[in-house]
Amino acid sequence: MSLTEYIQTRWDLLSQAAMNHVLVVALSVGIATVIGVGVGVLTYNRPRLSGIAIGASSGFLTIPSFALLGLFIPILGLGWTSTVVALVGYSMLPIVRNTVVGLRGVDAAMVEAGRGIGMSAAGVMLRIQLPLAWPVILTGIRVSTQMIIGIAAIAAYVAGPGLGNQIFDGLARLGSVNALNAALAGTLGVVVLALLFDLFYLVIRHLTTSRGLRV
Amino acid sequence: MSDDNADDHADSSGTTGERIELVGLTKRYPGQAEPAVENVDLDVAAGELVVFVGPSGCGKTTTMKMINRLIEPTSGSIRIDGRDVLAMQPDQLRRHIGYVIQQIGLFPHMTIAQNIGIVPNLLKWPKKKVAERVDHLLHLVGLDPTVHARRYPRQLSGGQQQRIGVARALAADPPVMLMDEPFGATDPITRLRLQDEFLRLQRELRKTIIFVTHDFEEAIKLGDRIAVLRERSHIAQYDTPANILARPADEYVASFVGGDATLKRLALHTVGEIDGEPGAPADLPGVAPTATLREALDVMVARGSDRISVDGTVVTFAQLSAAVRAADAVDRQQTTAGH
Repeated sequence: MSLTEYIQTRWDLLSQAAMNHVLVVALSVGIATVIGVGVGVLTYNRPRLSGIAIGASSGFLTIPSFALLGLFIPILGLGWTSTVVALVGYSMLPIVRNTVVGLRGVDAAMVEAGRGIGMSAAGVMLRIQLPLAWPVILTGIRVSTQMIIGIAAIAAYVAGPGLGNQIFDGLARLGSVNALNAALAGTLGVVVLALLFDLFYLVIRHLTTSRGLRV
Repeated sequence: MSDDNADDHADSSGTTGERIELVGLTKRYPGQAEPAVENVDLDVAAGELVVFVGPSGCGKTTTMKMINRLIEPTSGSIRIDGRDVLAMQPDQLRRHIGYVIQQIGLFPHMTIAQNIGIVPNLLKWPKKKVAERVDHLLHLVGLDPTVHARRYPRQLSGGQQQRIGVARALAADPPVMLMDEPFGATDPITRLRLQDEFLRLQRELRKTIIFVTHDFEEAIKLGDRIAVLRERSHIAQYDTPANILARPADEYVASFVGGDATLKRLALHTVGEIDGEPGAPADLPGVAPTATLREALDVMVARGSDRISVDGTVVTFAQLSAAVRAADAVDRQQTTAGH
């Protein structure tokens, strides 16, 4: 059976796995964005704290994903929870760092003007600083997404969702019928998802960045 | 300044200025031996434009920013129209004080209309009223709403951006405006034009304005009164431009005025060179056309008038100071051409 035939005959299974893959990545990036932007907002003007936050999230990135997922099994069990916790951890660095860099890049005159005409500190953050830093923050979110699409495949090791199951399954049975096709289909799926996510971010970037920043 | 009468602010009649009093105002930063601002007393009459002029680092901006509490005073008191500013909620206070900074500080991700509408929206004006106010203000600063309202700040020239900065500060029709070197970042020609427009606007609006600059020429041109500040914001002299030019209080003020140069120039030219408006009232103090500008200035100061009659025409102090500046420009050109 050729790869195309394999994909055609197992389309339901593969598309289901791809959908789960997208879901687990989107969920993880979503949670990481809330936490990461929050940490960035709270620490960007305190160099010591933002240093600690960036150091911790980059430290997390150095833990091999295979080992980390394995270590999570006794604590969080198999499946979605372990996967999502690990992926959120791996997403943190680009989001936190870009939030800090983006907010620091906002002209101090913007903040002064906002405060000077009577906006509250929170109002200035929400309506001035975050929108101006948004293109930089969004780039961080995009980099995180690209990173964890690959890592999410490894989640199959802890019985997590996604295309990793195809890859692990294929590699475990290498030499037997359709083993190579399964591994290839899984890998190809991950690559296609990565490209689709990138396209999605291009659209999001266009829709969420003020025209005033692009002129 | 309460929110209850916020609805009244967009009247075409407009809110005119309120009195500002600074009493014993002091700012001391922790870890610094000398206070940045020390014991400043100042009384600004309603509707007057007072210029703080002084060298950089003299505390003039710090003094100004204490009025809208972007900087909290260490001690002393501030009253606007008799109300204690330090007892108010700072954000609420600032919504009723116009604020213009040198960097302009327009928000690039918002349209011109959104930028101008920020404070009225913070004050929860109805949408329609905000839109009307934005149109009115754009007309007021000489920009066409149909062309500019939906543009973004980066699509405008520096001079246009600064006009929008002023329009935004005027948005909720505040009685008081603070302006920190508002025209400092524009080129000399644009700056002169902005100053002229701004003067015309202020004559109409009669806001109480604190205007910070390090440019004495600008202070002379714009100020109803000038506060010449030295270090720690000590007031070296607080008087009308004419009085400061004619009678600098001390060496420091004289040096700041440009001392001899300006006074000499006053003595070099005659009032006859200025084209006055015909129809001077009979009771106006008069001088002969051959009188020097210096003599004319002395008469103005002595009689407490900002205008005099010359051969039946009216010459104002503004024209007199413009003549000095023009003479100055000619001198400079000749010096340059000579080399």
